[in-house]
Amino acid sequence: MSVIAVYHIKGGVGKTATAVNLSYLSAIGGEKTLLCDMDPQGSTTYYFRIRPVNKFNSKKLLKGGKHIDRSIRGTDFPGLDLLPADFSYRNLDIALDDMKKSRQRISRVLKPLRREYDNIFLDCPPNITLLSENIFYAADYILVPLIPTTLSHLALQQLYRFLDEIGETRSKVLVFFSMVEKRKKMHWEMMKRLIKKKGFLPALIPYLADVEKMGLYRQPVNVTVPHSMASVAYRTLWSEVSRRTKDK
Amino acid sequence: MQNGTKSTIWVLPGSLEPEPLIADIGEVFATAPREAVRAATRTWFDTFDWRLYQRGLFLFHDKSEWHLFRRNSDGIAASLPQKGPHSPVFSRDFPASRIRSILEPVLEMRSLLPLVTHESSTTCLRILNNDRKTVARVFLEEHKIPEHNAVLRTVKLQEVRGYDKNFKELGRFFANYGMRDKTDFLYPFITGAEICGRKPLDYSSKFTLKLKPDYTARQAMVLIYRHLLEVMRQNEAGILDDLDSEFLHDCRVAIRRTRSGLGQVRNVLPPDITNKARKDFAWLGSITGPTRDLDVYLLYEQNYRSRLPAALQKGLETFFADISSRREAERRKLSRHLQSKKYRQIIESWHEYLHSEDSGESTENSGRPVIELAREIIFRKYKKVIKDGKTITPSSPDKNLHQLRIQCKKLRYILEFFSSLFPQQDMKRVVKQLRRLQNNLGDFNDLSVQQDMLRNYRLSLRPGSRKNQDLAAALGGLLTNLYHQQRRVREEYAPRFREFSASENAKLYKELCG
Repeated sequence: MSVIAVYHIKGGVGKTATAVNLSYLSAIGGEKTLLCDMDPQGSTTYYFRIRPVNKFNSKKLLKGGKHIDRSIRGTDFPGLDLLPADFSYRNLDIALDDMKKSRQRISRVLKPLRREYDNIFLDCPPNITLLSENIFYAADYILVPLIPTTLSHLALQQLYRFLDEIGETRSKVLVFFSMVEKRKKMHWEMMKRLIKKKGFLPALIPYLADVEKMGLYRQPVNVTVPHSMASVAYRTLWSEVSRRTKDK
Repeated sequence: MQNGTKSTIWVLPGSLEPEPLIADIGEVFATAPREAVRAATRTWFDTFDWRLYQRGLFLFHDKSEWHLFRRNSDGIAASLPQKGPHSPVFSRDFPASRIRSILEPVLEMRSLLPLVTHESSTTCLRILNNDRKTVARVFLEEHKIPEHNAVLRTVKLQEVRGYDKNFKELGRFFANYGMRDKTDFLYPFITGAEICGRKPLDYSSKFTLKLKPDYTARQAMVLIYRHLLEVMRQNEAGILDDLDSEFLHDCRVAIRRTRSGLGQVRNVLPPDITNKARKDFAWLGSITGPTRDLDVYLLYEQNYRSRLPAALQKGLETFFADISSRREAERRKLSRHLQSKKYRQIIESWHEYLHSEDSGESTENSGRPVIELAREIIFRKYKKVIKDGKTITPSSPDKNLHQLRIQCKKLRYILEFFSSLFPQQDMKRVVKQLRRLQNNLGDFNDLSVQQDMLRNYRLSLRPGSRKNQDLAAALGGLLTNLYHQQRRVREEYAPRFREFSASENAKLYKELCG
């Protein structure tokens, strides 16, 4: 049983695509999987054609228990459930701030779900906030999609420093290269420099139209174009992530 | 917190065809293009006497894997990859695994028989909402039983979590469509087995016939003998095919019960019928005996191994190999007997008499109410056991215990015949007390018979060869071990008999039979 948070400080790095595709691959591999859409934008929820749930909001999320139970939705794929996002999540930080043990809230909420699911994915909003701190505390692994650019790398450094600051171990972090463009020399040089560092996975997701088109088809790439490069790339990534997360 | 999604399975009525149903679902609901889910060939197994079913277990083999289910759970309790099974299958044929450890104590010496094989194909229809999101799944399942040219069809409606409203809506649709008969995932097994001629719990080795107190003795005995004859015939095929040792055992029990009835419940059938039947059943007993005796030794194999140290084990192999081949020779003889004209004639004439309109001239007891006769015989047998049992002291010869064992067995059979005429609570107590005594006497007798057999076997060995030396050593070891156990069993006799003859038990017999 693993809780895997897909996280990056910046937006637009392929987080949601990663969460959607990996959680799908986890489920068809026979592991009961829950994907929690923590981002108020609700892109993941949209990808699965699921509507936000009435009467479910950030307060209910933090209460947990039956409030969450009632709001979980089955997706089109057996074995894969989704906890939809709500627009009120934009205020999660404020709500958390008012609570006792405000760092452990999400972890507590997930505890009963750990019994029911083999894998739980958290699709996280960008930023470093109290919610991120909650997620880092709750997650067994933090999966970081990294576009191989200087700025992205700086952002990763920031994440490491933040983890040190809040007393979380850096070993939770698994990094893979995302939106890699073959013809960009800088991408290759950056990757060459970093790939041997601790926590970097050898799998990479190239910059591909099929991934972008997910918004059109609203399905994981392995459903719409199972033989495409994008599908192969996500399968390779999942086999590495799943191996790493099961090593423990 | 466990959140299983709901599902309902209906039997598709014979009047409904799957294709129009799919079309009609498509008229009312938005659906995704149908998907063929999987095709599978399953063979379901159980013992002849439904040992798995009785414990809520269900076992099937699917191409290359065994799957074991528990009742009230869709989940698999255990799975095991193993190539196509050869019938019969014993628990010892499974490699060490969870399946084996569950099956072993349940099956004991009984083999698993294939009860039905069906080829199943499933079509899945996803029901969509306005966002073209899946909100329910409908599975149309078709189970073909090629052997009987039969097709079973079910419709399963499966909820998608969080879409309860759609699930209910579809449930109403199916109800209105004419689907009334709800079932479960065992439908192809249970109904398929019925098509193949077997119904759950249609066979039990226990005597289960129910009598009414106002039957005449003849009516009751005819029913009892019919039931016993039926048991013999049910077991015939299993004996001929040599599926496991219990077919012959159950058949022999039915023969003994019949003989016991003929001997104990006297003057009920016309004398010529009784005399012929006694002679015939004595013959049936004699032809079935030798194979059973050897079966018993083969069943002791594990037990004997555990009695001997490793150094003496080698001789046992020779012993059991020899018993096996002798048993095979006896079994062939038995097989010939069972296919002989004489056997057929005995069974047919007995059957004919028991089912004839006219059961012959009346006799002294034939018209008496069965309850009256039952009370009389039970009490007589009980008194006999008490009288004989009291004379046994630690110094009495073994044969007195053997005789008492036979008396107890007679009492037991009589109690079982007529059990349904008495209050069940009392009967349970009476049988329980008797069983405790019988177990002691039975153990004592088994140990005597075994020692006699091993002693004679040893005497028949030619000295000299190394193999026979090992064998003799193993037999010596066994004899010693069995002898000591028999001594302990004998010491147990006195307290057991004291329990049986206690005044409380006597009072119970008096109440039942008074």
